[in-house]
Amino acid sequence: MKLVSRHVDKHGAGHITLRPEDDEDMWHLYNLIQKGDSVGATTIRRVQKTSNTGSIDSQRVRLNLTVEVNKVEFSSYAAPTSGGDTSASGEASGPSANPATTSLHISGRVTVENPHVKLGAFHTLDIETDRNVRIEKADGWDSIALNRVEEAILPGRGAEVGAVVCGEGTAAFCLLSEHMTLVAGRISVSIPRKAAASGTSQHEKALTKFYGTLFDGFVRHIPFANVGLKAIVIASPGWVKDAVFDYMLQEAGRRGDKTLQKALKEKGVKVHTSSPHVHSLVEVLQSPQIVSQLKETKFAREGIALDKFHKMLSSDELRAWYGPDHVVLAADRGAIGTLLISDELFRASDPETRKKYVALVEAVQQKGGEVVIFSKLNQLTGIAAILTFPLDIEVVEAEEREVEEERKRAEDEEGT
Amino acid sequence: MGPQLGRTVHVVIVSMPVSHHHHRHPFHSILPVQMTLWPTLVVGHPWRITETGDQQLLLKLNLTLIVWIIVVICADYFVFGFVVRYTAAREREKAQKRLEAAASRTVSPMPKGKKGSNPQPKTPVRSGAATPSRGVDQRALDISALNLTEKEEKPQIIEEPPKISFAREKLLEEAKKALDAEGRNNKKNVSLVVIGHVDAGKSTLMGRLLYELGRLDEKTRIANERGSNKAGKGSFSWAWSLDGTTEERERGITMDIALQSMVTPHRQITILDAPGHKDFIPNMISGASQADCALLVVDATTGEFEAGFNRGGQTREHILLVRSLGVSQVIVAVNKLDQTNWDKSRYDEICDFLRPFLTQSGYHSSKTKFVPVSAMQGVNLATREGDDGKVLRSWYDGPSLVDCLDQLEPPTRDIYAPLRIPISNVFKGQGSGVAVSGRLCGGVVQVGDRLRVLPGDETAIVKTIDFEEENVSWAIAGSNVTIYLTAIDPVHLNIGSVLCYPNELVPLATIFTARVIVFDIQIPITTGTSVELFHHSRDVPATIANLIATIDRATGDIVKKKPRVLTKGISAEVQLSLRTTSLSGPSVVRPIPLEPFSVNKDMGRILLRRGGETIGAGIVLEIFG
Ligand SMILES: Nc1nc2c(ncn2[C@@H]2O[C@H](COP(=O)(O)OP(=O)(O)OP(=O)(O)O)[C@@H](O)[C@H]2O)c(=O)[nH]1
Ligand SMILES: [Mg+2]
Repeated sequence: MKLVSRHVDKHGAGHITLRPEDDEDMWHLYNLIQKGDSVGATTIRRVQKTSNTGSIDSQRVRLNLTVEVNKVEFSSYAAPTSGGDTSASGEASGPSANPATTSLHISGRVTVENPHVKLGAFHTLDIETDRNVRIEKADGWDSIALNRVEEAILPGRGAEVGAVVCGEGTAAFCLLSEHMTLVAGRISVSIPRKAAASGTSQHEKALTKFYGTLFDGFVRHIPFANVGLKAIVIASPGWVKDAVFDYMLQEAGRRGDKTLQKALKEKGVKVHTSSPHVHSLVEVLQSPQIVSQLKETKFAREGIALDKFHKMLSSDELRAWYGPDHVVLAADRGAIGTLLISDELFRASDPETRKKYVALVEAVQQKGGEVVIFSKLNQLTGIAAILTFPLDIEVVEAEEREVEEERKRAEDEEGT
Repeated sequence: MGPQLGRTVHVVIVSMPVSHHHHRHPFHSILPVQMTLWPTLVVGHPWRITETGDQQLLLKLNLTLIVWIIVVICADYFVFGFVVRYTAAREREKAQKRLEAAASRTVSPMPKGKKGSNPQPKTPVRSGAATPSRGVDQRALDISALNLTEKEEKPQIIEEPPKISFAREKLLEEAKKALDAEGRNNKKNVSLVVIGHVDAGKSTLMGRLLYELGRLDEKTRIANERGSNKAGKGSFSWAWSLDGTTEERERGITMDIALQSMVTPHRQITILDAPGHKDFIPNMISGASQADCALLVVDATTGEFEAGFNRGGQTREHILLVRSLGVSQVIVAVNKLDQTNWDKSRYDEICDFLRPFLTQSGYHSSKTKFVPVSAMQGVNLATREGDDGKVLRSWYDGPSLVDCLDQLEPPTRDIYAPLRIPISNVFKGQGSGVAVSGRLCGGVVQVGDRLRVLPGDETAIVKTIDFEEENVSWAIAGSNVTIYLTAIDPVHLNIGSVLCYPNELVPLATIFTARVIVFDIQIPITTGTSVELFHHSRDVPATIANLIATIDRATGDIVKKKPRVLTKGISAEVQLSLRTTSLSGPSVVRPIPLEPFSVNKDMGRILLRRGGETIGAGIVLEIFG
C-alpha cells in the first residue's frame, strides 16, 4: 500500500490517504475502516440528466464521493468449481498475473456535496486497486489503527507462499502473504471409492481427472511465475501430495511449460498434513520445511503464539486464560506476558468496546508484554493471554465479587 | 479451576449395569417408547495392574492406558446416560408430528396382531435390585452400554395405530416375516469390519479366508501371485484380493475400505476390510460405522504387537473408535504366529494383555473371542490340518476363525423406524444410472421407492437393489446395500448424504449439542477449538462453540457449568457448530443430516478428531438449525 498523505495530530484527529495495490491491501483497508468513519474514493455512478429537449439521458460518470460508513464488506473469491463443469478443465490459461480475487465494498450516505449526487444519498463505494482512499476516523486514529497503517505501507509485495491443500478429490488453492491467507479457489471432483461392485477402474479414472482439474486450478490460481513467491506447497494426508506433485511435473513437461517445471523444481515442497481441510495450513506453516524457507509470516507467528498458549494451558492452567472477561481481569492485575487478540474484535466492536480493547493492548505493551494481533483467531473466543505468573481464576473472581460488594456497601452507607 | 482428572477418577470394572427385558415396540420410533431401564449398581473397584514375572507387557499399561480405559468405560456405561431426559420432550413432539404425517398418507391401519409377534417378551423386568444374569442380548447390551434411562412417567399418548400406505404395510409385513425366519431357513446376515494396526495382516487374512471359503478362484489367485511377484511385493499376494487400486498395490498398504462378502455355514457376512494406516482413519471410520462386529487383527511378532498397541499405534485407537460407533462384538485374530514358531506363551501373553483392555473398553467378555492364526499359511482360518498347523494342534483345540465368524450375532433391525441410508460410496451404474452404497440405519427400502437426498432438494427413484451380490426387491435395516437410482443427476449424490423417504426427513444441522467423552488428549479442549466432525462417511470441519457443562458420568449430573477447558477423561455437554470452509470472507455453511441419539442411535453418533487424533466420541442431544 502506498501512503499518499497523512495528516493526523497527536490526539488522533485528521485523515490519511492510502492507495491499495493488491489483495492484501484490501484486507488492511477492511481492518482499518469502521462504521462511522468518513471515507472518500473515486467511484462510478450512473447519473441522469434531463436535456433541453426534455429527454432523459443516463450516463456513467467517475466521481469522487465521500460517505459516512455504514457497512464494510470484504469478500474473497472461493467458489467451488465442480469437476464436472468444463470451465475448470477446458480453458487452461497461461501463468496469470496475480489476479485480484478480493473485493471491498463500503456503503453509506454521501456527506460531501457533489454536482452529481445529492447530499445524504446512499452509495456503495467499490474500492479499486491503484486509486486513492481517504479515511477520516470518527473517533480519531487510535494506536491500533495507526499501527495497521504502518504495517500496511511497508514494502514487500504479494503472496509469499502458494499452497494447495488437498485430499482425494478435493483441493484448496491458498495464497499466503504476510498479513493475509486467502483461499483463491477450490475444486472438488467426486471420486468413486474402490468397492467390489464397481471395481477400481472408476476410482482410477476419476483420480486422473482430479489431477487434471487440479493442474488447471493450480495454473489459474497460483502465481507460480512471480519472483516474490518463495514456496509452492502441496499438502495432504497420505500420498495424494506425491501423486499430485508427480502429475504436475509430468504434465508441465508434456505441455512444454518450462516456467512451471522450473518453479515446481525450485520452489515445490511436499508437506504432510493430518487432514485435507484448509485449516491444515497451520500444520503446513509449522512444518520444518516451510519454517526454514520463509521469513516469519504473520500466520506462522500466530501459529507459534497459539501453540505456546495451548502448551501453557496443558502444563499450567493457571497461566493460560481466555475469554474477554477473564483476560481483562488478568490485565488489571498486570499479569499478562503475551496477549493474543483477534483483529476481528477491533473491527466488529462498537466504539466503546473497541476503546476498551485498544486500552488493553496499550496496557499490556506498557508493561513490556507482547501483543500478537491475529488476522483471524476463531478459537478461544478471540482473546487469550499467557500470564507471567499463575493466577487462579476462581480466586480472582471471588476477589472481584468481594470488592464489588464492598463498593456497594460503601455506597449504601453513604446513601443512608 | 477446571476439574482435574486425578481427583475424581477411580478406575472401575463394570459389570453389566443394566439388564432389561425389553423388546422394541413395533412402532418404536413412531410412538414414544414405553420402556423402563433399571440401571443396577455399577460395581466399581480400583483396577490394579499386577506385575508378574514374564508379563512385562503389563508394565506398558501406564497411566495413559488407564485413562483410555476409563474414557471408554465411561463412554459406554455412564456418559450417555440421561440423554433421554433431555430429549424426551422433543422426541414426543416428533412422534406426534410423525403420527400426523402418517395419518395424511394413504390409509390402512396396521393390523394390531403384529405387536404380539415380537421375538422377545414384552414386559420389562423390574430388576431394581440385582442384574439377573442372562444370556447377553445384543440390544440389552447396547442400551445398557449407553445407560439410557427412560422414565416411566412417559407421556400418555393415545395409541392410535399409525396409518401407512398399503404397499408399505405389505412390505413391512413381508420384511417382518423374513426377519423372524432369519437363521431358520436362510443364513443370518452380519457385517464385519476388519481392524488393526498397519501391516497386522488384515488384508492377507481376508484374502486367504476368501480363498479357503471358495470365494477366490484359482485363476485370480495365480494372477495375484504373479502380479505381486512381478511388482516385487510377493508377500502381498493374498492382500491383492482386497487391495485393488494401483496405489495400494504399489505401496503394499490398504488405503480405503474393501467390500467383500463371504459365507460360513450359518452366516452370510459382509466384510469391510479397513486400512490400518493412521492417515486413513477417516476411511476406517466410514467402514466401522457400517458394521455390526469387528475382527481385530494383531501381529504376534515380537515387538510388533507392542508397537501396534502403544501410543502412535492404531490397535488401541481402532478398538475404541469401533466401540464408540456402537460395535459390541469383537473377534481377535492373533496373527503371524508362524513367525513365533507357534509359541503358545506368546499367544497367551497377547490374549491376557488384550482381554482386560477389551472388557474395559466396553466389550462384554462373552462377546470377545480370541483365535490363533497365520494368515499367510492359512492355518486355523477354516482348518488347521496339514503340516503348518501341526504345532498349533498340539496346544490348541478351540474354534477356528470360521467357527468364530459363524457365531456372530446379527444386529437388531429396526424395520419400523424411518428409513435412513447414509451414503458411503457413489459410482456409475450400468447405462445412465448412478449407484450408491450404504447401510440402512433403520427402515425398509424397496424397488420403486422415491427417496429424498439430504442435504438438498433432490429426489431419486430406486431402480434396483443389490445385497450380498444378489439382486433383491427390498432390503431392511442393518443391511449393506448398493442401490441403483434413476431420475436424478449424479452431481446431487455425495458421499455422506443421507437417503430417506420424502415424508420422513432427517433433520439438518449446522449447530447442535452433544454429550461427549474426551479421549486421552494432551492439549485441553477450549471454547472455539477447531475439530473435524465425523458422522458415518462424512467428515466436516466444525468448532466446539460452547462448553456447556461437565457431567458426572455415574449420575449424569452437572458438575460444573461453563467450564473453561475439557481435559482428558472428562465427560461434558458441548455445543458444536459446523464451520465454513473458507478462511476469509462470508460463505455459507452447509448443514448435515443428523439425528438425536434418542431418536436413532446409528444416526446420532459422532466422533471428533483434531490434528490426526481422535479427541472424543459422543452422541447428539439436540439439533438447532
Ligand atoms: N509371516 C507372516 N506374514 C504375514 C502374515 N499375515 C500377513 N503377513 C504379512 O504382513 C504384511 C502386511 O500384510 P497386509 O495384509 O497388507 O496387512 P494389513 O493389515 O492389511 O495392512 P494395512 O491394510 O495396510 O493396514 C505382508 O507382507 C504380509 O505378507 C502371517 O500370518 N505370517
Ligand atoms: Mg490391508
